[in-house]
Amino acid sequence: MPLTRRNFIQMVPASAAALTLTGGAKAAEPIHHVTVLGGGFAGCTVAKYLRMWSDGEIAVTLIEPNSNHVSCIMSNLILNKRLKTTDLTFEYNDLQVKYGVEVIHDRALRIRGPQKQLRLKEAGWVSYDSLVVATGIQFDKIPGQDFRKVPHAWIAGGQSNNLRNKINRMPDTGTFVMTVPKAPYRCPPGPYERACIVADILGRRSGYLDGSSSVAPRVIVLDANPGIMAEKGTFTSAFNDLYGDIIEYIPNAQVESVDSDNLIVNTSQGSFAGDVLNVIPTHGAQNILRVSGLTGDSRWADVDPVTYASTNTLFQDVYVIGDAQGTGQPKSGHMANAQAKICADSIIRTAHGLSSYTEERLQNITTNSACFSPITYDQASWLTAVYSYNPDTGSMGLVPGSLGEAHNWSSRNFNDMFTWSDNLFADTFK
Amino acid sequence: MRVSSTITFGKLLIAPAVLILSIHSAIAEDQTVNRMIASQCAQCHGTNGYARGSYPDLGGDEAKDLADHLYDMKGEDRPSGIMDHQALGYTDDQIRRIAQYYSTLPENGGD
Ligand SMILES: Cc1cc2nc3c(=O)[nH]c(=O)nc-3n(C[C@H](O)[C@H](O)[C@H](O)COP(=O)(O)OP(=O)(O)OC[C@H]3O[C@@H](n4cnc5c(N)ncnc54)[C@H](O)[C@@H]3O)c2cc1C
Repeated sequence: MPLTRRNFIQMVPASAAALTLTGGAKAAEPIHHVTVLGGGFAGCTVAKYLRMWSDGEIAVTLIEPNSNHVSCIMSNLILNKRLKTTDLTFEYNDLQVKYGVEVIHDRALRIRGPQKQLRLKEAGWVSYDSLVVATGIQFDKIPGQDFRKVPHAWIAGGQSNNLRNKINRMPDTGTFVMTVPKAPYRCPPGPYERACIVADILGRRSGYLDGSSSVAPRVIVLDANPGIMAEKGTFTSAFNDLYGDIIEYIPNAQVESVDSDNLIVNTSQGSFAGDVLNVIPTHGAQNILRVSGLTGDSRWADVDPVTYASTNTLFQDVYVIGDAQGTGQPKSGHMANAQAKICADSIIRTAHGLSSYTEERLQNITTNSACFSPITYDQASWLTAVYSYNPDTGSMGLVPGSLGEAHNWSSRNFNDMFTWSDNLFADTFK
Repeated sequence: MRVSSTITFGKLLIAPAVLILSIHSAIAEDQTVNRMIASQCAQCHGTNGYARGSYPDLGGDEAKDLADHLYDMKGEDRPSGIMDHQALGYTDDQIRRIAQYYSTLPENGGD
């Protein structure tokens, strides 16, 4: 039976449909139906806030191929075994039971804007009222890269465990080679944070960091960009001082190909061999956006940050949030969550026939980001920024003074990192 | 003093237009706009300002206390903490709106 919008709504379990967020009164008849693609940071937040803020008046169906979501946030801590993937795995139960979101496990393959139709792998073509695309990223294909032998570990889960196991088995004073993709990419400080964590793992395991051995392991960081892209002060000092003999940083290194059997990466700055190779390819929005025409000539979908609606007029009522959109704001989970709330507010307004462009609203569109970066086994730094809408340029701009990074890495920041992520995870998935 | 008006569109929670009669403003203010800005704090301070762990709850705070706290952080000569930088991201009016919104929420997060 092909899924239609009507039986999408009917598939909401009766108990969940009857739940409301204000103490069990019967839910209102839905006035609008929103289909969300992707159950990660952006998709789960928008689904939750649409239900919560509309008081159940908007029906939400979330389409996600996997039975749960493994958070990329904190996933570098899988490498040094501070965390396991199960610690970062979130189920969709709360969204279903607490908020009455209908969750369907399927993969979206194509969107037809003019027809307002969507093709799912299992269910075939279905129609939608409003569609929020929150499908995250997709990697460019690098000639020769076999992800089992040369993991990216930039979408968390099996890949994180794969990389952890390879680091575990490599020689204590061996060479770890990693690449940083061309910006804009997911999590600006993330690759540099990973370099620090691996330097710490190998530095302690070899005895080099406590002085019991004089042979330093090597971590080679091949950056496609001309310099460190985030927390420059922190990472420059970590690379030069704390891990000065271990980390070698090479900018302007574009990856050309990978020899996955011999663990060699060929770049514009030469070829590098390692005991473990971690190549994070340059990425863009998922294929579904590209084949459907939502990305145009760019890697990311152009959207209006007042609503997160696609600027492509063939795609009415289609919104893109999270890493897949191209507003130029940092690609972080914290930011994906922030954008989801602006988008949810706008969809609820539209469903009520209200404008999202009132003077009052335009002056108050803000988003923010925060990233905590572990630098050692028990110390971390952070980075934060606030963005606000500029009606003159129609874009989000960094608010002067709001961009800040930790003056130094500390164990207090390390503890705060867990409080921060606990709150972010709960605001997104619970 | 806050007086809920009867001007509503959609259901109550969608947009209970609320008249704010205070020294700051005497005109009807769109509470959904205040809710939207305030929700940007929830990544760290929890949904509806009900935080986990050591981060402070915001729900149910006195509006003046929360706003003053944020104005103080915004005024730091040498911003150093995350919140000093975050506070610099908002206009004084936005801070007032955020604080006003959280003051209307229950202390226990309401869920
Ligand atoms: C190592 C690392 C550390 C990070 N640290 C931080 C940090 O400290 N702070 C921070 O804020 N961010 C951090 N990030 C970035 C953060 O993880 C991403 O920015 C965030 O996950 C983006 O959210 P999203 O919803 O756009 O994508 P995702 O969270 O990746 O979710 C996308 C979802 O869409 C699903 N999907 C994909 N294709 C389809 C399809 N065709 N149909 C249906 N569903 C589909 C996927 O299965 C997935 O569940 C980090 C990332 C990494 C890799």
